[in-house]
Amino acid sequence: MKQFLLHLDETFALGRKFIIQDLDERHLFISADILDILQSKVDDLMDQISFPLAEKGI
Amino acid sequence: MGPPKRFKKDNDRGKWKKRKEDPEEYNDDDTLDDNETEGIPDAAKNDVEKQDDTALEDEFGAKDYRAQMVLKPDCVLRPLWVAPNGHIFLESFSPVYKHAHDFLIAISEPVCRPEHIHEYKLTAYSLYAAVSVGLQTHDIIEYLKRLSKTTVPDGIIEFIKLCTLSYGKVKLVLKHNKYFVESPYPEVLQKLLKDPVIQECRLKNTVEDEIITNIQNKTKAPQFGAKAVTNVPTGVTKVTETNDQVPAEAAAVPEDITTFYDKMDKEDEDEEEEQELKTVSFEVNQEKIEIIQKRCIELEYPLLAEYDFRNDTVNPDINIDLKPSAVLRPYQEKSLRKMFGNGRARSGVIVLPCGAGKSLVGVTACCTVRKRALVLCNSGVSVEQWKQQFKMWSTADDSMICRFTSEAKDKPMGCGILITTYSMITHTQKRSWEAEQTMRWLQEQEWGIMVLDVFHDLTSIMCLEVHTIPAKMFRRVLTIVQSHCKLGLTATLLREDDKIADLNFLIGPKLYEANWLELQKRGFIARVQCAEVWCPMTPEFYREYLGCKMSKKLLLYVMNPNKFRCCQYLIRYHERRGDKTIVFSDNVFALKHYAIKMNKPYIYGPTSQSERIQILQNFKFNTKVNTIFVSKVADTSFDLPEANVLIQISSHGGSRRQEAQRLGRILRAKKGAIAEEYNAFFYTLVSQDTMEMNYSRKRQRFLVNQGYAYKVITKLAGMEEVRIAYCHLSEDSEPDLMYTSREEQGHLLQQVLSASDMDADEERIPGEGPRPFVTYFTSLGLSFQIIRKAGNMTSMSGADDAVYYEYKKAPSSSTANKHPLFKKFRA
Amino acid sequence: MSNTISGKNLLRPTGLQCKNLQEYLKSRPPEVLNKLYHNPPICLAVFRELPVIAKHYVMRLLFVEQPVPQAVIASWCSKLHFEEHQKVVLILNELNVWKEASIPGGLPGWILNTTFKKNLKIVLLGGGKPWTMSNQLEIDSKPRDVAFLDSYALERWECVLHYMVGSQQQEGISADAVRILLHAGLMKRDEADGSPVITQAGFQFLLLETALQVWYFILQYLDTIEARGLDLVECLTFLFQLNFSTLGKDYSTEGMSEGLLTFLQHLREFGLVYQRKRKAGRFYPTRLALNIATGQNKPLSRDPEKEGYIVVETNYRVYAYTNSNLQVALLGLFCEMLYRFPNLVVSILTRDSVRQALKSGITAAQIVGYLQQHAHSKMIEAGPPILPPTIVDQIKLWENERNRFIFSEGVLYSQFLSQTDFEVLRDHALSTGVLIWQSERKRTMVVTKAGHDDVKKFWKRYSKGSS
Repeated sequence: MKQFLLHLDETFALGRKFIIQDLDERHLFISADILDILQSKVDDLMDQISFPLAEKGI
Repeated sequence: MGPPKRFKKDNDRGKWKKRKEDPEEYNDDDTLDDNETEGIPDAAKNDVEKQDDTALEDEFGAKDYRAQMVLKPDCVLRPLWVAPNGHIFLESFSPVYKHAHDFLIAISEPVCRPEHIHEYKLTAYSLYAAVSVGLQTHDIIEYLKRLSKTTVPDGIIEFIKLCTLSYGKVKLVLKHNKYFVESPYPEVLQKLLKDPVIQECRLKNTVEDEIITNIQNKTKAPQFGAKAVTNVPTGVTKVTETNDQVPAEAAAVPEDITTFYDKMDKEDEDEEEEQELKTVSFEVNQEKIEIIQKRCIELEYPLLAEYDFRNDTVNPDINIDLKPSAVLRPYQEKSLRKMFGNGRARSGVIVLPCGAGKSLVGVTACCTVRKRALVLCNSGVSVEQWKQQFKMWSTADDSMICRFTSEAKDKPMGCGILITTYSMITHTQKRSWEAEQTMRWLQEQEWGIMVLDVFHDLTSIMCLEVHTIPAKMFRRVLTIVQSHCKLGLTATLLREDDKIADLNFLIGPKLYEANWLELQKRGFIARVQCAEVWCPMTPEFYREYLGCKMSKKLLLYVMNPNKFRCCQYLIRYHERRGDKTIVFSDNVFALKHYAIKMNKPYIYGPTSQSERIQILQNFKFNTKVNTIFVSKVADTSFDLPEANVLIQISSHGGSRRQEAQRLGRILRAKKGAIAEEYNAFFYTLVSQDTMEMNYSRKRQRFLVNQGYAYKVITKLAGMEEVRIAYCHLSEDSEPDLMYTSREEQGHLLQQVLSASDMDADEERIPGEGPRPFVTYFTSLGLSFQIIRKAGNMTSMSGADDAVYYEYKKAPSSSTANKHPLFKKFRA
Repeated sequence: MSNTISGKNLLRPTGLQCKNLQEYLKSRPPEVLNKLYHNPPICLAVFRELPVIAKHYVMRLLFVEQPVPQAVIASWCSKLHFEEHQKVVLILNELNVWKEASIPGGLPGWILNTTFKKNLKIVLLGGGKPWTMSNQLEIDSKPRDVAFLDSYALERWECVLHYMVGSQQQEGISADAVRILLHAGLMKRDEADGSPVITQAGFQFLLLETALQVWYFILQYLDTIEARGLDLVECLTFLFQLNFSTLGKDYSTEGMSEGLLTFLQHLREFGLVYQRKRKAGRFYPTRLALNIATGQNKPLSRDPEKEGYIVVETNYRVYAYTNSNLQVALLGLFCEMLYRFPNLVVSILTRDSVRQALKSGITAAQIVGYLQQHAHSKMIEAGPPILPPTIVDQIKLWENERNRFIFSEGVLYSQFLSQTDFEVLRDHALSTGVLIWQSERKRTMVVTKAGHDDVKKFWKRYSKGSS
């Protein structure tokens, strides 16, 4: 999942760079004000890879 | 204080309902465009679903039907609710479940049948089917009313009337080799005869212009398999449903339900009495059958095809009976009763899960009709299979069975049963002289029964190869060969599929559809544990995945080292248990890589027939070969031997049908393993956080509605320990999971990145040119000849088939179908 | 996946905090506690809710008139359970059940609170004034049985819940009750028109068991009691008398103060007591009141009509045998509603509907708990497990999916000139518990925002000292 943030950062997907420092395999230091947009991006990703299993009747 | 403002559901509630569909989705079964609506009656296009567009929504967003129905005081005793949009909800725990279930399966389509509450849906087609198995408009409405906990909405009653009143009133009957349009309703026949087109089709060799009036003799209801059955001690054949009766519990059941059920049940069997009624008919010009069929559909009186085989004196009987050892299971018998309910053979489709014994149903149908039978299936291997089935269940011997494939061309003259493939029949290129002769003979025959095997498979085959659609293809088959009745056998009839809707009119209505969960509970099919195993992407692979184009993404998530290790772990786990495992990969690059790396045999498009046979034989009989890898060709082109574990590492797109079919590979009930909660395993490995998760879910929809539950496994117990052990013990520990180290993973990544776009594709075109020699067996001390052979189109479809023998004993012996290894582990 | 780092998660909604009796009393000032301990029923309630070890200590000390050395008391408990002993000591301190007293010779000791001791003795041994409520009444001409009281209580209570979900199927509730809901943060005034709307906490509240809901609600009510001009101690005492009353019995209102009578009317509105008329002179406590102090553990026994009504299927369908708008509304919190029949609701659990619930602060555990608690008898028969495990898993997976990252706010320190400098500062941060992350190799560390000032000061002092 960390790779996803790196990807967003590199591709300027949020309009700017937001990673201040790559700490280690599991930790990133990022700017606090990006939090909300970031969360919504993660939501988007999850939306994309999910599929409604339950059908509401055909 | 007055009411406060209702809490607001977020404004994006609308978004819930309209999800953005992914533009790049693969949709193997949903998106086939087919604008062919020609030849379907208008009423059949009716959609009751739209009737409640105007239904009010309550404050919570549900369609509120409360105003449209009144709850009955004894609603607890009645099992179902009928919604104004045609959806019906049935309590499976109701004391009258049995009654209601039999009825609903006849008049409606099952939407989902999990544990407690089943959902059905009334459609124009389902009602058409109901009428054609002999239900009357009034009875349908009356019984529905009685079973319902509430009053039945008016719209539904209207809909049932609209769809059933004109259906099933007129039949096309082939009698003494002449075609008649027959009806118990003189006024309907008169109405049809006023139509100029129909007048054209009428054969006017009779002097008078009168309609023939016919009073039919009462005949005894048929026994399946005719004579043979009577030879058998009753104890053996009487596997009829004992729970069909309504004994003790009857007290709790409202009387109007039981009495009605009894009445309907009787009708089903003794319909002969009704047949004593007068029927009127006129003869039809044989050459204009097609035209009159179409015209009648346009006039909203589709012609039902029924075959009065016992009064057919023109076509000779064939000498075939069921063997005493052939015992029908209750659901098989039930499905056949729907087909032969009135003493004639109705055309239609029977839906049974894979492994539930479709072929016995087909064989029994042929033995019941006892006229020349034509069996159509997908591949040469299936042809062999069918032959075996006939020999196993019936008295037919080699001399009676003729195979007609590109390789096996038995002499057709004098045979009673001809088995062939769809592609042999619809073949348009030049045929050999020999084949030409057989074709001509085949066309000249008047077939008593035509059995169409698992025809849904054709969707995939046809799209890949002939670029046509099944409906068209069936139409072609049906115009080439003449048959009195048609029986379709399939495992999955996906309802929203328009093509299938066409089939309704081409083959006939659905006669029966089994409930998977029920068969599983009663031990007729294996109890399968379905699992979706989540494999996290390694950081390196995920990084590439995020940044690359679609085609490469696929390869990255399939080749995810964590997935590889999961696969390896599962294979090893099941090998230790003594299971037989089949690994499916739609992607050939992955297939080869996985199989070679793990030193397992694999089969894909270009694999030659003889090599396929070698591998399959080894898988069946060699205790050292317990795992094989197969590509998509295994779905359609050959019959896999029995296995009880299936692992999917790459499944392209979201085809529900394929998923159900693959599950079917392990459904054949395993005996002697009753103690275990599950006796078969179906794993799908998906790379976490990738589109694969989406596809995987999509594929599961059908089975989920049959009551299957996919367990999500996010961590395989034991797998991490293996890895740790590997790190610490290094050298002399047993060979462990691969792709554990960063270096190995990096190397794999390089391989994946340098793979071509073609590799990323699923298997579409069989590879051409020389293939590398296969070396995986050498280590097992086996040797066999490797035949190089360039694949071609037909080898994919199985039309050019080598003989593939299936050594199967009759399942009556308790050790049958069991690998020696299984015995060892299951004893 | 990000690792867990200590520090609060910035994006996760805070859960509804429901104090139990002990926690509630602990947060009262000692004077109030002392006043409360003048009432035997309260002493009994407190005693009953004490941990077992604490009960032992209290019993052993009940007849001891001098302080007992702390070391002696500690010796009553095996060394193996020292931690528990310490916990118990803390509880007894906080509840003001005992207090420190030095023993001649300077040893620290403990002595039971005199008021508590006196009144607990009364409860346990009898004597003193009668502390139960009076039921010196003529026999009620229309006595009410338990079944009636149960259904009355639930009906009243559901009025409050109905009101919260804004269902139209309701009779209103009093302005007073609305004020409590607002005060409790279960509802808030809509910004646009000032009408009350349900809050995140309100949603979570709705999914609690009834007994817990009542207790939570009453606690909030008690908070506002002094503002109403009522006496907290008097009301609490009465509440505990109710707690020990008998279900199905009627009690007299005689001798109750004006304030207490007002309090009684409030309890009546919420269904804790039943009165035929306001001035009937008698009242019946209901099960809701009986459970009140022990609401944590003892679920309200259901009346037959309130049996489980929810069927959850493996294909994500959720069927509810109900026509109650409240029950439908509750399901609607995390299900998408499809059809409504006169006695059945058809709905479906979707990722979207569950996420919607998660976003409003409802947890996966709460959803699962609710479905389980109200599972239809057919589900229970088919179990265990009662709910399809794949559905339970999936709800949890949907929750996890939202928590793939853990965010903690912090300040980064880097570019230390020497390894020693780094280590000194890191060790300081570590010892004060504000260190979030550190790497010796990179000479980089992250401390919590709250700890930043302190670490900065320490650094200044340290650098001055070393230069």
